[in-house]
Amino acid sequence: MFRGLWTTFKSMFEKPVTVAYPEQKRPVRERFKGRHVLKRYDNGLEKCIGCALCAAACPSDAIFVEASENTDEQRYSPGERYASTYEINMLRCIYCGFCEDACPTEAIVLGDNYELSFTGRNQAIYDKNMLLEPVPSGGLPTPQVTEPGRFTRSVPEMKDPVD
Amino acid sequence: MEAQTTTGKFVVPIGPQHPALKEPGHFEFTVDGEIVTGASVRLGFVHRGIEKGAEARNWVQNMYMVERVCGICSHVHATAYALGVEQLAGVTAPPRAQAIRELVAELERVHSHMLWLGVAAHEGGFDTLFMYSWRDRETVMDLLEAICGNRVHYSVNLLGGVKYDIDDKLADQLRKGVDFLEGRCEHYMKVVTTDETFVGRTKNVGKMSKEEAYELGSVGPTARASGVDRDIRIDAPYVSYEQFPVKLITDDAGDLQARFVVRIKELYESFRLIREILDHMPEGELTVKVPRRIPAGEAISRVEAPRGELLYFLKSNGTDIPDRVKIRTPSLCNWSSVVNYAVGHKLADMPMLLAGIDPCFSCNDRSVTIHRGGNVQNDWSWEQLRQYGIAYYR
Ligand code: SF4
Ligand code: SF4
Repeated sequence: MFRGLWTTFKSMFEKPVTVAYPEQKRPVRERFKGRHVLKRYDNGLEKCIGCALCAAACPSDAIFVEASENTDEQRYSPGERYASTYEINMLRCIYCGFCEDACPTEAIVLGDNYELSFTGRNQAIYDKNMLLEPVPSGGLPTPQVTEPGRFTRSVPEMKDPVD
Repeated sequence: MEAQTTTGKFVVPIGPQHPALKEPGHFEFTVDGEIVTGASVRLGFVHRGIEKGAEARNWVQNMYMVERVCGICSHVHATAYALGVEQLAGVTAPPRAQAIRELVAELERVHSHMLWLGVAAHEGGFDTLFMYSWRDRETVMDLLEAICGNRVHYSVNLLGGVKYDIDDKLADQLRKGVDFLEGRCEHYMKVVTTDETFVGRTKNVGKMSKEEAYELGSVGPTARASGVDRDIRIDAPYVSYEQFPVKLITDDAGDLQARFVVRIKELYESFRLIREILDHMPEGELTVKVPRRIPAGEAISRVEAPRGELLYFLKSNGTDIPDRVKIRTPSLCNWSSVVNYAVGHKLADMPMLLAGIDPCFSCNDRSVTIHRGGNVQNDWSWEQLRQYGIAYYR
């Protein structure tokens, strides 16, 4: 019994292992898969081209994509098409990251936000405005007016991702 | 599943909500005073239809599906599935991928056994051990998170390889974590074998002989604690267990204490293996290409989950969607041992005895048919089921 109490006594002087969440937060790991973010290029154009490959890959049918045509007066993304509707149902999503793997333009990326809470099922559906990242500095918001013939290539040149 | 008949006796029903364990299962104990004279168990409260769901998704998507059969042994499910598919497709994952699979499997075993140690201690009213072991389990959870970003569903496997590589920094982190855990486990071993109250509750409780274990088809540490030398990692080495073999750990006592001892010794074995794999990690690619359509055929793959043998049967019809995915989980095989060895013990020992097999209720998302001879038709066809449903709701 005394040995048991000695263990208890010793641990009184150890550093607590718990974190006082939500005041303090533990940093997330590099490979953590959290809430999705739709990325933009540096000039503000959206990376997503509305190909719906992510929706096809998703094991839990969480993604809904509807594509529309880009024009040079109203350009959202390079190439011909962009996603006019992009919705992810966060209640269905299992955060497997398969959409990330499927995307040809690296438009959808699982970020590091894990604080998702809703009070109704409708709120669990995140639409495009909620998912898109803010326009980077130096970029313009979409839709942009662009000169014809400049953004014809929808899938950019990429190197292999690490992590 | 009925083990004994329960007529004309006092029956204590436990569950299905929180039957001492925080998961749904229903138990009925027939008692004579304090002593249990019969036990039966009803399962299937967490049926989610995963096997049926797998028939509507393609081979790659199912990878994520089977991982979600269980939150504790998600990696072995994915490994078993991936091995089966690779067998059908006629490819083998590269050696480095196999080694990483084994590494993660062993880390998962560490995490699962430590979780169990806590749960079992908690059921025995020894909450201090529960708190300490779960605190230390955070270490291995952190390591797993560092490898793959997730604490629960690691998603390390791919068809034909693995997703994540282990670099030197990660390896150092792993070594440090394993060293720390090994020290802690030695402490737990001391507690489990010398602490008076603990020994009093576990020694000679829930004894199961080797013959009984064979007869009741026990698997995993439960069987090994009764002296059955059965471990898929040794009997039919998969991934890289041939290259990095494990030592078989058995105990002849067959009581509850032996189940603790076997599991903690397995932890040592896992630590040794993790170090060995890190030191001799084969170089090379992480993946090979697997076709989208899997050639028609049938395959069986077996792996050793933390709770015992896990078996996958896969049937392909040559398309990108499986025809049948049958999963046989280890917890299911062990229930008959519980209802058997529970007899003759005090009702107060039941939670600990139940916890002794390391029951996983998400494993029990399947049906069991027991054929007792005779002409009882228990199997229903789709059509019969449909007719029954229509009649029921009329
Ligand atoms: S993370 Fe997985 S489940 Fe979630 S949207 Fe992407 S593919 Fe679907
Ligand atoms: S996120 Fe990627 S995969 Fe999904 S529609 Fe957009 S471009 Fe296609």
